[in-house]
Amino acid sequence: MGTGGLLSVNELAKRYGATVALQSLTMDVAPHEVHAILGENGAGKSTLVKILSGVVRANGGTMRLDGIEYIPHSIVDARRAGVSTAFQELSLLPNLTVAENLLLPNVSGGPFKMSRRGETVDAARQVLSKFNVTDIDPRSRVEDLSLAEKQRVEIVRAFSHEPRLLILDEPTAALPDTTWLFDQIRRLTETGVAILYISHRLGEVRELCQRATVLRNGVSTGTVDLEGINDDEIFRMMVGRAPEARFPGRTASIAERPVALEGRNLAAGRLHDVSFTLQQGAILGVAALEGQGQVELFRALAGLDPISGGTILVDGKPTAIASPQQAMAAGISYVPEERKIEGVFSGLSTAANVSLPKIMENSKAGFLTYAQDARAITEPAKAVELAERYFGFRMNDLSGGNQQKAVLARALMSDARCLVMFDPTRGVDVGTKQAIYNMMRAFADKGGAILVYSSELAELVNLCDACLVIYGGRIAAEVPRAELSEEHLLSAAHGHVDDAPLRVAS
Amino acid sequence: MSLEQDMDTSAGVDTRAASRFGSEAITIAVIFGLTIVLILGSRFISPAFGGWGQTETILFLSSFLVFCSFGQGLVILVRGLDLSIASMITLGGVLTTTWLAGSNEGLWYVVPAILVVSAAIGSISGFGVTMLRIPPFIMTLAMGIIIYSLCLGYTQGTPRGYPAPALADLMRAHFLGVPAPVILLLVFVAIAVVLQSWTVLGRRLYAVGNNPIAAHVSGLSTNKLTIGAYAISAMCAGFTGIALAAYANGATLRMGDDYLLPSIAAVVVGGSSILGGKGNFLGTVGGAILLTTLGTILAALGIEQGWKTIIEGAVILVALIILRESVYEAIRVWMGRSSTG
Amino acid sequence: MSAADTTPMTDTAQASDKRRLLTGLASQGAVLITVVYVLLWIIYASEQPSALSAYSIESLLNNSLPLMLAAAGQTFVVLQGGFDLSVAGIISLSNVVVAVYPVEGPFGALVNLAMVVGIGLAVGATNGFLVAYMRIQSIAATLATMIICQGIALLILKAPGGYVSEFISYELTGSLFGVVPVAAVIGAAVAVIWLAFRRTNTGIALYAVGRDAAAAELSGIDVRRARFAAFCWAGVLYGCAGYMLSAQTATGNPSAGEPFLLLCFAAVALGGTSFSGGSGGVIGSLIGAATLMLMQKVLFSTGVSSFYTGVFQGVIMILAVLFAAFVQYMSRSRGNR
Repeated sequence: MGTGGLLSVNELAKRYGATVALQSLTMDVAPHEVHAILGENGAGKSTLVKILSGVVRANGGTMRLDGIEYIPHSIVDARRAGVSTAFQELSLLPNLTVAENLLLPNVSGGPFKMSRRGETVDAARQVLSKFNVTDIDPRSRVEDLSLAEKQRVEIVRAFSHEPRLLILDEPTAALPDTTWLFDQIRRLTETGVAILYISHRLGEVRELCQRATVLRNGVSTGTVDLEGINDDEIFRMMVGRAPEARFPGRTASIAERPVALEGRNLAAGRLHDVSFTLQQGAILGVAALEGQGQVELFRALAGLDPISGGTILVDGKPTAIASPQQAMAAGISYVPEERKIEGVFSGLSTAANVSLPKIMENSKAGFLTYAQDARAITEPAKAVELAERYFGFRMNDLSGGNQQKAVLARALMSDARCLVMFDPTRGVDVGTKQAIYNMMRAFADKGGAILVYSSELAELVNLCDACLVIYGGRIAAEVPRAELSEEHLLSAAHGHVDDAPLRVAS
Repeated sequence: MSLEQDMDTSAGVDTRAASRFGSEAITIAVIFGLTIVLILGSRFISPAFGGWGQTETILFLSSFLVFCSFGQGLVILVRGLDLSIASMITLGGVLTTTWLAGSNEGLWYVVPAILVVSAAIGSISGFGVTMLRIPPFIMTLAMGIIIYSLCLGYTQGTPRGYPAPALADLMRAHFLGVPAPVILLLVFVAIAVVLQSWTVLGRRLYAVGNNPIAAHVSGLSTNKLTIGAYAISAMCAGFTGIALAAYANGATLRMGDDYLLPSIAAVVVGGSSILGGKGNFLGTVGGAILLTTLGTILAALGIEQGWKTIIEGAVILVALIILRESVYEAIRVWMGRSSTG
Repeated sequence: MSAADTTPMTDTAQASDKRRLLTGLASQGAVLITVVYVLLWIIYASEQPSALSAYSIESLLNNSLPLMLAAAGQTFVVLQGGFDLSVAGIISLSNVVVAVYPVEGPFGALVNLAMVVGIGLAVGATNGFLVAYMRIQSIAATLATMIICQGIALLILKAPGGYVSEFISYELTGSLFGVVPVAAVIGAAVAVIWLAFRRTNTGIALYAVGRDAAAAELSGIDVRRARFAAFCWAGVLYGCAGYMLSAQTATGNPSAGEPFLLLCFAAVALGGTSFSGGSGGVIGSLIGAATLMLMQKVLFSTGVSSFYTGVFQGVIMILAVLFAAFVQYMSRSRGNR
């Protein structure tokens, strides 16, 4: 497209410490255009949104808006330059009214002015009606609104700053009916506004957008004209072929093995009526887009959240798992989703991090020494290829990959027979990935059972004996090993199995 | 940028030596070093100062602060704060004098009973903080006021009685030329260091303070452990009260007041994070001795109480500013650069 | 909007009006504490009929005002999601300054007022800088500034003493035109200023930051400036609390502020302000403070030994926090329907 665009981004990059969130992103967006950003979870979409809207600063590459260098320092700065965003995680304040939220940060009209309820409400009502929202009372507090109403307020707020570039991050995640949104988008683009549209719903993207830029592992793999490309080709661009770790071979058959872990009609939060069986020596994968209920499933099995229905069976016996202690007693060990928040004790040594589940057993009458710690963790550390010289390091000083190895070693430490792993390779380097694959294979070969969710479909395809696909809180597909392919998993994860075609264009 | 990459990305090129917990050791060394410099330097104020005699006195005076700072440190370690320490010291003192009433009889059960009562009260605070989710400083402040008020009512405004003569004698005794309280201090520190750094309980408390969510995920009973920290803190304060009553041969209602804020100061100055999860009791001991030394020297200089208080506050403030995580990060990066470059 | 649209809307609008009213009342907590306050008055008056005399009302208000001002200040900090211990230090310091440097006459009273406001603003700004810009935990930062303030107070006045200018100690504790207690006027003025403030951008930002700082940031609010402003407001109100305390005691005491530490948190909690930030308000705290002082009178009049006042204060403090958390829980769980 070249220089005629409104926004042009060149080799944009963002690192958080050792984690590369965005490696190199190049794209351009023209006025009047609705431009889609496509990519798997963790491909760098949300990082792009944050950089464009001024929440974080890029540490490489350039952005130009109308040919002028664009480096927003804050949300307000970005708005001033003509970029506004409707965030996926909704940035509304629940304890304020709709009107106040719409007018933030300048509700009263000036630093030393008082807001008058009537004026605020009138101004907000004008904004709302300008974008054809008449059923939301501007005087309501946001916490009293339904999720769909909140989402519309978030979107209207982004509209109301009269942007030249509008960013909509998963705007339909909570909208049952998209007619209103699509009408507004068409109206805005007619006036010359460019829209960056981020959605995992390909049907919508095809209906709205002309072009799409595809992201894979933080790199933009190209901008495509949506007219001339079919879904399979898009999925292939999203998944790609990375020169990645080699996957260890699988055992011949696990069909005859006894069942280690079974869920019957499990319900928890978004999750409804999910049943599965996991055999000893098997690796069962779970594929899903963000927020389909997989978090609830894994947290329930780890004893972190209660199940609201159904039964969990361990070795064929119904087992109550109401706390992490009970999960561990049942032989289930959990590798948590958020390494930083749920996994790592950043101020403790690596040895202390790993040995925690068994310190009482490995102590001498409650007393600990460093040597005992180090001896106790040798075995699990070896299994995840965690070098011995890191044992004495404070966890904070380790790379993300080594931290993850330590978290995995801790999971092995508790003599679990069943590992429940949530995205164990997220944000780690290739070497660590290889170590994790080897460890999973070895664990299964010794008769252990693994339930693993991964945002990298290649892992599920190459590691697992079978794969569940969760969509909308239910199991959308159960894919046996013979049929495992990334394209298959991805289209099932987009709901293409049960409720395709999603909508008929009006 | 490139530095970060070198340090973080790959296991292969990382050649750092396992400098275990370097910053902690440095903090402790600096604090004790400062204390020694202060004591030696005090010779310039008065020739009577700076010798072994003064060191003994300082150790003796700081022992009370060390006792209660241990508990304060454990509570801060699990992300709390104990403002009931002053009242718990008073309670310990008041119970010592009224229950013993100046006789050695019953000494063997009164002292344990006081410790048990203290621990029970601490558990109530811990219960409020964990189960009822009351902010720690509100819970312990309220508990402190309640306990103080009960002491007031129990003594009808003026504590009477004396501690057991045996206790008072102990505070004045010497073993091998060393005052018994100094030996008591050393024994206490030894036990406390072992408890905090070398036992399963201590390790679990560190884990809870460092990351309560991860601790829960890892199967620790975070609530029980937190309650335990508050119980130990109250017990230490009660113990301080007993020791103070024995030393002063009586109790007053305000005897704990001089220890509440210094106990927090000692912990913070000693390098523990006020946010919890990080710290070492030896640092706290150093902080307590440093503060006591500072107080003694300022008193010898004839400096007003006001200046002493200001200096105390300033020391806390400076410690807070210096010990922020970002400053440690900066030092780490700087040290990394100088070693690689 | 056309007329046709409005008909179906009025129903839901009315319903949501009602809901909003209820939510507003409950989350303010001010209403409940007012009810408690009135009940306590009834008990007090029935125990001691003289309680309803103009003199005893005036003296009760004079007694309550310093705590009311301190609690009002604390509310600003609690709303943005923190705690301010420097309240004790600033009150002591203000009290001592007014008692050591008295300036006579109405103009002198203004000079003294300017002094305490200056002190409060300076300390508050220091707190705000440490918390908002240096990112030090509010309890720790304000603990340090509290100690320093107490030290300065001791430097100015070693032991209780000094005297407060006559205009302050007489006129400000009396009644306007012999009818309206000055204390009531000041209390009302604070309430009015608060009602105006909470409608300014900073006031709205205060609630936003206290509830969800990340979302506030994404909404374009300058989170650090809002926190800074909260500590400044708090400091100024503590200064005024010290000023009115001086008017009431007519003397200086370097540790005059200490009792305020617990009591002002109790008043804030009683007033329905949540310690997790973002809900509550100054009006509730004002009445909460008045309630605490009235309760002391009631306890005294019912013959409870003054030794045990602390037990009641402590227990009420804990119950108040639980109550505020409960109100918060109720108003949020309704939101998540």
